[in-house]
Amino acid sequence: MELAYIFGLNQKKLIRTNNITVKYGEIEIKFPNINLDYGGQLLIIGKSGSGKTSLLNILGGLLSAESGNILVNDIDIFSLSNKKRDKFRGQQIGFVFQTPHFIKSLSVNDNLKFSQYMSSKINQSKIDMLLKKVDLKHLKNASIQNLSEGEKQRISIIRALVNQPSIIFADEPTSALDDNSCNNVVDLLTNLSQENNTTLVIVTHDKRIKDKFPNQINLNDF
Amino acid sequence: MIFKLAWRNIITRPLSSGLSAVLLSSSIMVIVLSMLTMKQMRSKFNENANKIDLVVGAKGSRLQSVLCNVFHIDYPNGNIKLNEVDFLFKHPFVKSAIPISLGDSYKKHRIIGTNPNFITQIYNGSISKGNFFNKPLEVVIGANVAAKLKLDIGDSFSGSHGIEESTHDHEDFPYRVVGILSPTGEIIDQLIVTSLESVWQVHPHNDKKGSFDLKTAEEHDHHSHDHKSEVSENNKEVTAVLVNYNSPRAKFSIPGIVNQKNALMGAEPAIEIKQLLDLIEPAVNVIYVLSLFIFGLSLFSIVVTLLNSMKDRKYEISMMRVGGASVRLIFISIILEGFFIGLLGSVSGLILGHSIMGIMARFLNLKYNYQFSGLVFDSLELVLLFVTILIGMTAAIFPAIAAYRLDISKTLKNKT
Repeated sequence: MELAYIFGLNQKKLIRTNNITVKYGEIEIKFPNINLDYGGQLLIIGKSGSGKTSLLNILGGLLSAESGNILVNDIDIFSLSNKKRDKFRGQQIGFVFQTPHFIKSLSVNDNLKFSQYMSSKINQSKIDMLLKKVDLKHLKNASIQNLSEGEKQRISIIRALVNQPSIIFADEPTSALDDNSCNNVVDLLTNLSQENNTTLVIVTHDKRIKDKFPNQINLNDF
Repeated sequence: MIFKLAWRNIITRPLSSGLSAVLLSSSIMVIVLSMLTMKQMRSKFNENANKIDLVVGAKGSRLQSVLCNVFHIDYPNGNIKLNEVDFLFKHPFVKSAIPISLGDSYKKHRIIGTNPNFITQIYNGSISKGNFFNKPLEVVIGANVAAKLKLDIGDSFSGSHGIEESTHDHEDFPYRVVGILSPTGEIIDQLIVTSLESVWQVHPHNDKKGSFDLKTAEEHDHHSHDHKSEVSENNKEVTAVLVNYNSPRAKFSIPGIVNQKNALMGAEPAIEIKQLLDLIEPAVNVIYVLSLFIFGLSLFSIVVTLLNSMKDRKYEISMMRVGGASVRLIFISIILEGFFIGLLGSVSGLILGHSIMGIMARFLNLKYNYQFSGLVFDSLELVLLFVTILIGMTAAIFPAIAAYRLDISKTLKNKT
C-alpha cells in the first residue's frame, strides 16, 4: 500500500518501476519507468551496451538495482528473502534467452517437469498440451542434446510457460534465428502468452520484430 | 526428481564419474579383501589353535611344529620315540593325548596315522558312510577327499612318500577306504586318516630315518625297506602328540617337563599362532595404508570431477536458478551426486572384494586345505559403506559451494 502510494498509482499494474539505475564501475545507467498492465506486451529495444539485459535481470529479480523501486504484481521483489524471491521467480516469471540452456542429462519432458518441480506444481497434462501446441510432442522423451536450435528455442518457450507465470521475459529470443524461425518464435511467444493471459516483455536489438509490438520503449532515447 | 537429476548427472558423465567410482571401489576392494582374509585366517587359526593345548614333537621350530601337526601346512621337524612320550598318556593333568604320524600323502592329501579320537575329539567328526578303521591299511577319508578324488567305500589306493612332492609310491601297501567322514568345514575334510600301525607297517625303518627326512629319491632307498619286518616296541615313532589339559595347572608344568627332555619340544598353538599373526599384521597394515592412500586419491578425484562438472554446467545451474531453484536445492543436488559416487564406489568395491575373495578362496583352499570363502561378511563393511558415502558427500561440499556462489546474472550475460 505504502509503495503504491509512493508511485501515486491507483490502477493495478503488473510491473511498475520507478527511477531504476544500475552501476558498472563508474558508469551509471538510468532506466525509464515502466508501467505494464496484466496481459500486456512490451518490446524494449536498444543498442548493445544500453543495459537491456541488465534491465530484464533487474525486473526478474536476478540482479539488484543500484537505486529505484520495482513492483511486480504489487510485490517489491527485492524486499523478499533470497528463498522467497527464488520461489516467486519460479512461480510468477518465465524466462526465454537467446541461447536456450537446459539440463543436458535430462530428456525434454524431464526438463519441463523439473521446471514445474522447482515451483512445486507438477502438471504433466499441461506439459503435454504445450508440447502438442508447438508440434514437438514426438520429442517428449528425446534427449535435449539431440534437438535443433529452433526446437530448443520452442522448448524454452514452453518451459517459460509451463508454470503458468504472470510474466515472460524474453532476452534477444530471435537474434540467433533466420527470418522464418524468427517469425515463428515471435508468433509463438505472442500467441501463447495471449492464450495464457501472460504478460510478455521482450528486450532485443533485432529490428525484424520492431513492427510487431505497438508498445515499445527504446533505451537509446534515455 | 532431485534424486533423478543427481543420478542422471552421474551416468551421463560415465568417464569422469566412473574414474572416481573406480578409484573408490579399488580402495574399498583392497580393504575388504585384506579384512576378510585376516578375519578368516585369524578365525581359522584361532579356532584350530584352541582345539589343542600343546603339540609335543621333535626339537626344531615351534611354529613349524604347530603349522604341520595342527594346521597340516608345513613339514614336520622330525619324529619322536613313542616310549619317550609315554608319560603324557598317563599324566593326571592330561585330558587327552593323541599321537599322530605323518609321512605319506595321496594326490596331495595328507595321510595321518593316529587313532579315531583324532577325528571325534579334536574335530567332532563323525562317519557318514562306512565305519572307523580297525585294521592296518584301512582308511577313513574326509568329505572333500571323497568328493574330489571320487573315492568310495571299498576303493583302494597307494600312498606316495612325502607330502607336497612325493618321491615314490608305496605300491606294496595299498590302503582301503572303509569310512567317509561327514563334512565339517575344517581341515579334517581334506585328510586321509588311518591307524598308527598302518604308518609303521609302511615305514618300518623310521627309527633309522624320520619319515619326512626322506624327501628325495636319492636319499630314500626304497629297496632297503624290509616290508615284512615289524617295528619293535622301543623303535615305534610318531611325528607328534596332540595334548589337551584337564587342569589349568598343566599349562605351567607339562611344557616344562616336555622341554627338559633332549629329544622333545612342546609348542603351544595359541602362542605360536598369536606370534605368527603378529608377524603378518604389519604387512596387512601396509596394505591398509596403501588402500587409504587410494581412498584419498579417489576423494580428490570426486572433488575434481564435480568441480569440472560444475564448470560445464554453470549455464544449466544458472537456468535452474532462474527457473526458481533455490541455492539450497542446487547445493543438495550436488551433494547427492557425491552420495551416488560414494554409493557406487562402495557397493562395487564390496562386491568386488567378496568376488575376488571367492576366487582367492579356491586357491587358499587348495594351498592350505582350509575353507576360505567369499561369502563371509563383517559388520565393519557396513561401517565402511556408510563412511564412504559420507565422505563422498563431504567431497561434494566444495563443488556445491562453488555452485552456491555462482553469479547467475553474470553467467547468463556471458552467454545468452
